[in-house]
Amino acid sequence: MIFVLLLLTPLLAAATAALVKPYRAWVGWLCAALSFAPLGAALWLSARVLEGEVLTWGPGEFLRADGLSALLVLCVSFVAALAAWLGPGLAVEDGYDAAERRSYRVFSNLFAFTMLLAVTAHNVGVMWVAVEATTITSAMLIPLHITKASVEASWKYILIGSVGIALAFVGTVLAYFDFVNLAGEQASALNWTSLLHSAPVLHDEVLKLAFVFVLIGYGTKAGLAPMHTWLPDAHSESPSALSAMMSGVLLAVAIYAILRWKIVVDAAVGPAFTNRLLIALGLLSLAIAAFTLIGQRNYKRMLAYSSIEHTGLTCLGLALGPLGIFAAMLHLVNHTVTKSMMFLLAGRVQQRYRSTEIAEVPGLVRTMPVTAGFFAAGMFAIAGLPPFGLFISEFALVRAGFAAGRGWLMGVVLVLLVVAFIALVTHLNRMLYGDPPAPIPVGERQLWALAPAGLCVVILVILGLTLPSPVSRLLNKIVEIAAP
Amino acid sequence: MSGWLVEFFQIVFALALAPGLVGLIRWIKARLQSRLGAPPWQPYRELGKLFHKEAVVSKNASWIFRFAPYAVSASTLAIAFLVPVLVVPRRLDMVGDLFVVVYLLLLGTFWLALAGLDPGSAFGGMGSSREVTVAALAEPTTATAIFSLALGAGSTNLGAIVVAALNDPWTVLTPGHLLAFAALFIVAIAETGRLPVDNPSTHLELTMIHEAMILEYSGRYLALLEWASWLKLFVFLSLLANLFFPWGIATTLTPGALSWAIVTLLVKLALLAVVIAVMETRVAKLRLFRVPELLTASFVLALLAITSSFLLR
Amino acid sequence: MNSLFSQLAVLGSSLTLIFGLMLLWHRSVHAYTTAFAWQSVVLAGIVAVVAYFERDPELYFVAAMLLWLKAWFIPRLLRRMEEPLGAEQELQPYVNTATSLLISGLLVLFAYAVCRPLVALSHLPTRAGMPLALGLIFVSLFVIASRKKALTQVIGFLMLENGIALLAVLGTYGIPLVVEIGVFLDLLLGFMVMQLFVYRIHETFESIDVEQLGRLRH
Repeated sequence: MIFVLLLLTPLLAAATAALVKPYRAWVGWLCAALSFAPLGAALWLSARVLEGEVLTWGPGEFLRADGLSALLVLCVSFVAALAAWLGPGLAVEDGYDAAERRSYRVFSNLFAFTMLLAVTAHNVGVMWVAVEATTITSAMLIPLHITKASVEASWKYILIGSVGIALAFVGTVLAYFDFVNLAGEQASALNWTSLLHSAPVLHDEVLKLAFVFVLIGYGTKAGLAPMHTWLPDAHSESPSALSAMMSGVLLAVAIYAILRWKIVVDAAVGPAFTNRLLIALGLLSLAIAAFTLIGQRNYKRMLAYSSIEHTGLTCLGLALGPLGIFAAMLHLVNHTVTKSMMFLLAGRVQQRYRSTEIAEVPGLVRTMPVTAGFFAAGMFAIAGLPPFGLFISEFALVRAGFAAGRGWLMGVVLVLLVVAFIALVTHLNRMLYGDPPAPIPVGERQLWALAPAGLCVVILVILGLTLPSPVSRLLNKIVEIAAP
Repeated sequence: MSGWLVEFFQIVFALALAPGLVGLIRWIKARLQSRLGAPPWQPYRELGKLFHKEAVVSKNASWIFRFAPYAVSASTLAIAFLVPVLVVPRRLDMVGDLFVVVYLLLLGTFWLALAGLDPGSAFGGMGSSREVTVAALAEPTTATAIFSLALGAGSTNLGAIVVAALNDPWTVLTPGHLLAFAALFIVAIAETGRLPVDNPSTHLELTMIHEAMILEYSGRYLALLEWASWLKLFVFLSLLANLFFPWGIATTLTPGALSWAIVTLLVKLALLAVVIAVMETRVAKLRLFRVPELLTASFVLALLAITSSFLLR
Repeated sequence: MNSLFSQLAVLGSSLTLIFGLMLLWHRSVHAYTTAFAWQSVVLAGIVAVVAYFERDPELYFVAAMLLWLKAWFIPRLLRRMEEPLGAEQELQPYVNTATSLLISGLLVLFAYAVCRPLVALSHLPTRAGMPLALGLIFVSLFVIASRKKALTQVIGFLMLENGIALLAVLGTYGIPLVVEIGVFLDLLLGFMVMQLFVYRIHETFESIDVEQLGRLRH
């Protein structure tokens, strides 16, 4: 029942939007209302998982939700709801025509469906199919407004994304090859629980090779350097609601895939190999992002590079043992909430100022005071300041690093975080203060649209000041799964 | 004793048949182009005519010019000694193997290139530089392609390779063999100066390679050089035929086996002649800057052949 | 190892790799489409051979799907794109032809090196073709990275998928049917989206030269 509610409602919303021609406003409201269903299902699922259940559904346990899936389902449905309420088609002047709005409703719901399927699938092959489908559905939305820049961004996204995913499939095939070699062909061979169960018997070299391919493949989708080149373009040229979904949860889903494979490979060859690879790529992403943030001139690209930075941090955390995994998953949740809010706010700013250049959007405090307040809060959050949640998770990550004996590495990480902090705060300064250009109207409009942003800030502060018991219990469950 | 006699007979056989092979190719091409064409024994008449004519030598030519035809003929004749034509194994197999053959090919090319440069004419120098470009890319491919077969046979001795192929007929279908055949076929086209690499019947500056180098020659020198190039074609084609489709070649020295070997060789050569003639009629000459692309492709095929043979050993 | 089955499998794999090399050798989109169609025919043939020798009826279905989708349907769509877009030839790729061919030879050698543990571990008679499949994957990646026309990149991506399917067939006699069908759907949809994007690039930039897509920097 939970799974039906979770997966079928986005499909239903997409089908409605596809069938109703021409686009009517009530379709948008219906989709937005329907987006609460997966959110409710996700909360219900998490409650049952916290009681110790592992939910399955379908012939041969086609869908399976444990603690890790529950956390990600929560994140995905939350951001999908945000994007449904604040995306094109509901409010009035957002510059999109009827065909574009209809396209948005159809594909964003399909996008949400594929992401939810990816994190609840039991079979790594089906997970792969779903992740590839996320590439396709999100790529259709990037050039919602056809301009030279958005066409370029969408081409890079689909090409690099598809190639990366294909490499992840090579890794999947290699692992299946080893399993079949030892145990013969079975339909359930690709279920990740069967892979985990037989992991100690599988051959080291093959699994290591498979993990390399998987890391490169899903790492491309997660935005890990050096496969990150599509990310700034795609996230800055797409409509802000889509950027929120992509930056917020698509990266999280890719990291989920990497973590599932890490669990299997670690059971066979021990954690040292995967940790080394994750540290290398994570550190590289963090470094590239931190230094590129300094010279940024476009605030949406700035947010995209910040996503790369945080993805790098999360992967670093995954490599630092059980404490690190706890910190990384907490960081994942915090980043999801923050980044989606930031992109939606950036969308509002872009609508008002009609530009994405930092130099052309000064004086936010005067033109849109409430938005500016939330924007500043979000920027401080992603820069890692207290009292927001990201500070706690970064602190926990560094502490885990020292506990794992990687003191020098944490030193480098801290330096890079400071670099990023300086860059972000400088850009924020330029955007908040100064005189706004003359023709920009002053004063906040559509205050109700800021309510979700307020909700996000409240969540961040709660996560920053205390760690509510359900959250910490869920995270502990995840650590049990990931590092037994 | 009879072994040596048969060796000698093979050489005479090759020398005698080489002009006929080229004549056959020309005749088939002519018929395909709806012309009557000269009869297949026309090259013999050409040789006869050339030997009777006076050799005119430029005043600027040095001893290289007069020596080169003998050097080229000698090296090509030496190759003919080392390649399995009618009989395997051979007495002369102990003298040279695959690498000696490749060196001898390069020796002939070297002397021909020098001869093109020697009289100081523009065409000659141009032909020499083009020929050396082609040779630089074709020689490694020859060595690599035949070496892939040698890996399977366990010896670089050409006779041993043929015997190994006779013993295990299924090896013909292995990808190593097929890739090596493709690579060697392209190289044979390049080395013997056939279309699409070089047009053997043109004297246009834009298109000639081999003809440019022998442009200054006349009389008996020209006869020797033409005969050497025809012998080279004969040797390459019989190498292709015997390395990859060795059935019919004689393994004993009985008259029955020898005559059967002669018949099968003639059939194989005729088939190859038809293939070459059809290909020359269908394909246009490649532009010169695209020839390295073709040869690099054949080198990659030979490389793939070696890796396939290596893994399937 | 030298049975007819393994010979046919390795022969087929070599043919698919050579068709992949055609992308580096020829210049026109028409030649690329033909090479891809024939490569898919050979791939379907290999799957059918495996189905015959292993008496697995599911694989016949997979071979038929491969044949329909990759040897008929997608090449048909590609040929329709040749009209408006195919006049552009790959005249000056980022890496020239001779160097590309040499690099691809080296990539195949690298694939052999990477595949050694796999070939050593497997008991299947088709295992000798796995390095060739991985070689095709690497060569396709190189094609995508070094060519300038968007259409060549799309065909390179399709060949990459062929290489992965070949690896799956040779190493594991095919993946579970559910996943196989999902992969086909993904491929079809992915290709249609790419096709749509190539048309959009052509409309917006008046050419499909990827070098033009250089506005977004840092």
